[in-house]
Amino acid sequence: MSPMKPEAALRDALPPPGSPRFWRALDELAADPAGRGLLAAAWPSLAELEPALDRRGFLRLLGASLAFAGLAACSGPPPEHIVPQVGRNGRTAPRSARYATAMATGADVVGVVVTLQDGRPVKVDGNPRHPATLGGSDACMQAAVLDLWDPARSDAPRRNGTPSSWAAFEDDAAALRRQFGERGEGLRILSGAVVSPTLARQRDALLARYPAARWHVHDPLRGRPADVWPDLSKARTIVALDADPLGGFPGHVRHARDFAAMRGDTNAMPRLYAIEPAPSLTGRNADHAWPVAASALPAIAAGLASALGVPADVPDLDALTRERIATIAEDLHTNAGASLVLAGPFQPSAVHDLVRAMNAVLGNEGTTIHDVPSHDTGRPLGELLEDMRAGHVETLVLLETNPVYTAPGFADAMRTVPRSVHLGRYRDETAEAAHWHLPALHPFETWSDLRTLDGVASIVQPVLAPLADARSVHDVLDLLTGAMTDDPLKRVRATWPDLDDEAWTAALRDGVVARPADAVGAAMAARKSRPGSTPLAAMAAPTGKDALELVFRPDEFLWDGRHAGNAWLQELPRPVTSLTWGNAAWISPALAEQRRLRDGDMVRLAIDGRHVEAPVLVVPGQAANSITVTFGYGRRSGIADGLGYDAYALRERDDTWHVHSVELTPLGRRTTLAWTQTHQDMGRRDIVRAGTPAHPPHGSDKTPASFYPDAPRGEYRWGMGIDLNACIGCNACTIACQAENNIPVVGKEEVARGRRMHWIRVDRYHEGPAAAPRTYHQPVPCMHCEHAPCEVVCPVEATVHDSEGLNLQVYNRCVGTRFCSNNCPYKVRRFNFLQYADLASESLKAMRNPEVTVRSRGVMEKCTYCVQRIERAHIDADREGRRIGTGEVTTACQDACPTRAIVFGDLGDDASDVARAHRSPRRYVLLEELNTRPRTAYLGALRNPNPAWRDA
Amino acid sequence: MSDREPAHGATPAEVTDLVTALVLARPSGRMWKIATGIASLLTALLVAAIVVLLARGVGIWGITMPVAWGFAIANYVWWIGIGMAGTFISAALYLTRQGWRSALNRFAEAMTVFALAVSGIFPVLHLGRPWFAYWLAPYPDRMGLWPQWRSALVWDFFAIGAYVIVSVIYFYVGLVPDFAAVRDRARSHGRQLIYGVLAIGWRGEALEWERHATLARILAGLAVPLVFSVHSMVALDFSEGLLPGWHSTIFPPFFVAGALFSGAAMVILLAVLLRRAYALHGFITDEHLDKLAKMMLAVGWVVTYGYVAEIFTAYYGGDPYEVAMQRHRQQGAYAWLFWATIACNSLSIQALWWSRVRTNPAALAVISLLVLIGMWLERFMLIVTSLYRDFLPSSWGMFYPTLWDAAFLAGSIGLFALLFLLFVRVVPVLSIAELRRHAAERVDNRP
Repeated sequence: MSPMKPEAALRDALPPPGSPRFWRALDELAADPAGRGLLAAAWPSLAELEPALDRRGFLRLLGASLAFAGLAACSGPPPEHIVPQVGRNGRTAPRSARYATAMATGADVVGVVVTLQDGRPVKVDGNPRHPATLGGSDACMQAAVLDLWDPARSDAPRRNGTPSSWAAFEDDAAALRRQFGERGEGLRILSGAVVSPTLARQRDALLARYPAARWHVHDPLRGRPADVWPDLSKARTIVALDADPLGGFPGHVRHARDFAAMRGDTNAMPRLYAIEPAPSLTGRNADHAWPVAASALPAIAAGLASALGVPADVPDLDALTRERIATIAEDLHTNAGASLVLAGPFQPSAVHDLVRAMNAVLGNEGTTIHDVPSHDTGRPLGELLEDMRAGHVETLVLLETNPVYTAPGFADAMRTVPRSVHLGRYRDETAEAAHWHLPALHPFETWSDLRTLDGVASIVQPVLAPLADARSVHDVLDLLTGAMTDDPLKRVRATWPDLDDEAWTAALRDGVVARPADAVGAAMAARKSRPGSTPLAAMAAPTGKDALELVFRPDEFLWDGRHAGNAWLQELPRPVTSLTWGNAAWISPALAEQRRLRDGDMVRLAIDGRHVEAPVLVVPGQAANSITVTFGYGRRSGIADGLGYDAYALRERDDTWHVHSVELTPLGRRTTLAWTQTHQDMGRRDIVRAGTPAHPPHGSDKTPASFYPDAPRGEYRWGMGIDLNACIGCNACTIACQAENNIPVVGKEEVARGRRMHWIRVDRYHEGPAAAPRTYHQPVPCMHCEHAPCEVVCPVEATVHDSEGLNLQVYNRCVGTRFCSNNCPYKVRRFNFLQYADLASESLKAMRNPEVTVRSRGVMEKCTYCVQRIERAHIDADREGRRIGTGEVTTACQDACPTRAIVFGDLGDDASDVARAHRSPRRYVLLEELNTRPRTAYLGALRNPNPAWRDA
Repeated sequence: MSDREPAHGATPAEVTDLVTALVLARPSGRMWKIATGIASLLTALLVAAIVVLLARGVGIWGITMPVAWGFAIANYVWWIGIGMAGTFISAALYLTRQGWRSALNRFAEAMTVFALAVSGIFPVLHLGRPWFAYWLAPYPDRMGLWPQWRSALVWDFFAIGAYVIVSVIYFYVGLVPDFAAVRDRARSHGRQLIYGVLAIGWRGEALEWERHATLARILAGLAVPLVFSVHSMVALDFSEGLLPGWHSTIFPPFFVAGALFSGAAMVILLAVLLRRAYALHGFITDEHLDKLAKMMLAVGWVVTYGYVAEIFTAYYGGDPYEVAMQRHRQQGAYAWLFWATIACNSLSIQALWWSRVRTNPAALAVISLLVLIGMWLERFMLIVTSLYRDFLPSSWGMFYPTLWDAAFLAGSIGLFALLFLLFVRVVPVLSIAELRRHAAERVDNRP
């Protein structure tokens, strides 16, 4: 699979004529003055090479060729001029450069900064200048670097399942263009949500060129396209009606930041009510989680609307529901203008209309919620399916979408299409079914642009030359219209005619196009549709008392299955369930008790003749009679092959979000679930301290006496502070740490055994009734105890303390007694029980952080406080003869955290964030009674429950 | 030395004839062959398992996080405990002049040496990187690295090392006159040569006997404290940890008692089997079994006291983690381990109050087996129930053994059995010299 196989190298050396991009030899690059700068940035030692080889030069070349042999999968910089960000101290590091670009998952566009080490992208973080991230990340952003280096990427075009070439496809495309003629009859294009202005421009050009062609949009999980943009930084009372602004919404990284910032202000703490059938990340962070069946939700929305003075037909509601609605309505009224009602994309239009009216009545429009132009101009998938079945489709072009897997019935319909072309990064189910499969470029390899829903545009710049013989969606569209440009950069710049060179460079450097008016966005936007209000009665579904309801939800990380090939995401515990490497049917504790089901029991879920067999997982906070199934599993290709069940098989149409009267039949079998936290009850242990604004959690500043001498004080005292009030449990820190520290994945069986390797985990604990618990999240990295229990028991001094307070693990001294782990009360140590690190795949070698050792089997490892970053800061500071600056060292988890819950730095520096955190009255250390004196301290959580709320 | 209870009625010549015949004539038995066949198979399994372990890593076992120790450590503690009884019977009873030990000390010492050999496999192989086990030893190296002296594992390494050295020397010193006796009776040249070399020129002179006796006393004097130190150190491997259930001051005496308990059970089992296989009723009498059984009952009560004390201190101390650990131990997923341990180690031995049981070989064999099983379960329980639920509920997890765990346990039993079966064929299983002395003293004391 490695793109540098001999044949791949040959292909690169002999590019098809007219090919827009191919390898430049390094000496060609060195000869070019512009290129020389690029080369110097990537490989300083190489750029200085004299053309004439003297003895030293020869030896250097020899060394370089050896080094290159080790980086077999390494590519070079892209040929066009790209613009790095400037380092934190005003200069670009010679060896590690940072480039701003952007990525999209569905309609969610985020600005990112890619860090390159020796020219290789090794780390992705949020772009601090991009309003959708403000420097924070989510798990998918962090995992993008693995997508890039994935050895399983498709690396050559295939025609009818046999390897072919781009030249052959270009010939075919020319023939197609002739066939399309003037009108393009029978041409159908299917893509995901179009969030790139250039792509939108190309789409419009194509539809203008071929008036009979149709462009369809298929995003199996988008639900109702968002047409509002909440602003959580001003909302004091938030009601989420099956809405997940912290987890699933476009812009959720930003929303999480705003929400956490509000929660951090004890004088103006927001209150969050989450009313939903299945717990979402938002529900898990709510002050009041109110699980209700999806089918009952519109009635509650109507009740709430009516209580707020919006005319609505309110069905009969029971007393408790009426009381709760009144409580919420009063709260909303109190904070009118600073309150927010949100409906999720899985709710019907009628609920959205009610919510819009409620926000209008409350005066929230323009303050906590803004109208945004909807991106949606594509025709729905259903129309395409009908056309396909009717035989109207002659050529089907599938652009980075996988409907054979995600759309029920698509595979059959596709067989009737004479010509189909699929562009994608993987040889997935659709690739196998299509006549042509074309490998797609990763966003880090291509020029493009992206625009968030609220109008922030970014230029996507490539940070390295393609690793695979692939092209972008823009290239393929140009091939179809015949508007072939040689220069992918020019194509994107053409979308932005009013950006002069300076503005363009600034846009590349900053990752945001600085423009007040968003003409392109307005052009992209469809006219806002105001659907007539559907009578609520039509939605009121017949609900018997015990009738079970099936709720469809995306997988929290794999989304619709598009990230199923990403092993980091597969192994990352899902925030709500802590499940990895598979999905389960979520059932409520009440249903589990009623049907005598335990976690891992296999059941058969059947509805209208469609059925799947799935393991159940009892999820506290799940609505009593709702069963949630998640998409993204049951794949038939790649590493996810054979994992989980395919929830799409239960779905009739791609806009069904819940159905009634599902049959649940226990099968009497059990299966192993690879979940990482099977106990979620703190008991009465002092683990997460929580309180309310009136009764804040108490801190502790007393340190018990100890027989051990105090730790020697070095120049710095590194420490960490974790604000449990800000943590929403999204797990971005875990995967950021995985990327930074070369942490291997271990696979489903090993996770099920309890052998996952993550250095920082996010624990979650429930409080209160299992039917509607309150949940707390607690990230647990190594505590770097001053009196570390692990150090005392190691017989070979493989874990030792340094003078700056770091508890170090010396991998090459470790013999693997594992006593340190047994003796760690926080259980943060991870052991290489087997050879977990993949030492064979060349591309994965190129992906790894060169500053972090890859551990072999038999050694213990754990969080190091990113010691490599501390060392780099030491080197920089020593060279300049100064102290390490305040905030100069950040850990990977800290960088990734969307809510800035984690702070790190020198405790001896009073100005540092971490010192401030350690002075907080909420500060406490975990398991204080053991007197381990951790350097990692927690700030207790605050919740703001409504005293008038009545529990069920 | 005056013996309090001369135990057998054979003349000195009969003693030598009988015992050397076991080595030289080797009365063939189908049982020996079958047993040796099974033991060899199990040993082969152990060898195969070790090869797989070295090739793939300790991940082939069921150990995980949080239960990072499992069968390997349980096996280690179990075997080293079994080894204790040999030294105790041999050395402590020697120093206290319990003459009846003469019929038992030889095979008990052999048992000690073999149990130590088997137990020594585990602390090395349980390491993530066993090839670096020598890093626990203080040796001069260029990096100036030393072991970490605060770790109990380092001291355990020394304690075991000293114990192994003294045990092996003590065993061999006792064997020298007996090897000479075998050498003198041997007919074939090869045996004369081999046993001659092993006898290192023993001629039976008075001076040699005097020096032999002195050396034996010195070694016995060294071995007895080592018995206590090694098991105390093994206990500290656990009690140095801060885990509820491990962090306990009662552990050293508790482990010494447990070791003697399981060792006594193994001695009884071997005595019953040897006596039956080689018709040694004249030497290993019912009286011997009775005394051993009393010893087992007594230390069994000490062990039971340990169980009670642990539970009492947990609840009396009121430490929430200790209390929770006791609750999980008695009612949690591994409660069956606790109750099986109690049944085997505390209840089954109560039958030994009856003298008919104490002299009934079949009943003793069953009880000894139960005690051996119970002591293994106890070690496993101590390890697992403390680890599987410690401080943070988020990290709680189960331990499920794999087939490789079972292979190592079965293989270690096979290796021990194989070593012992070979021992009875090539080494005098009873101490000829000591039994002859008893016989001679009896002749001298004739009225």
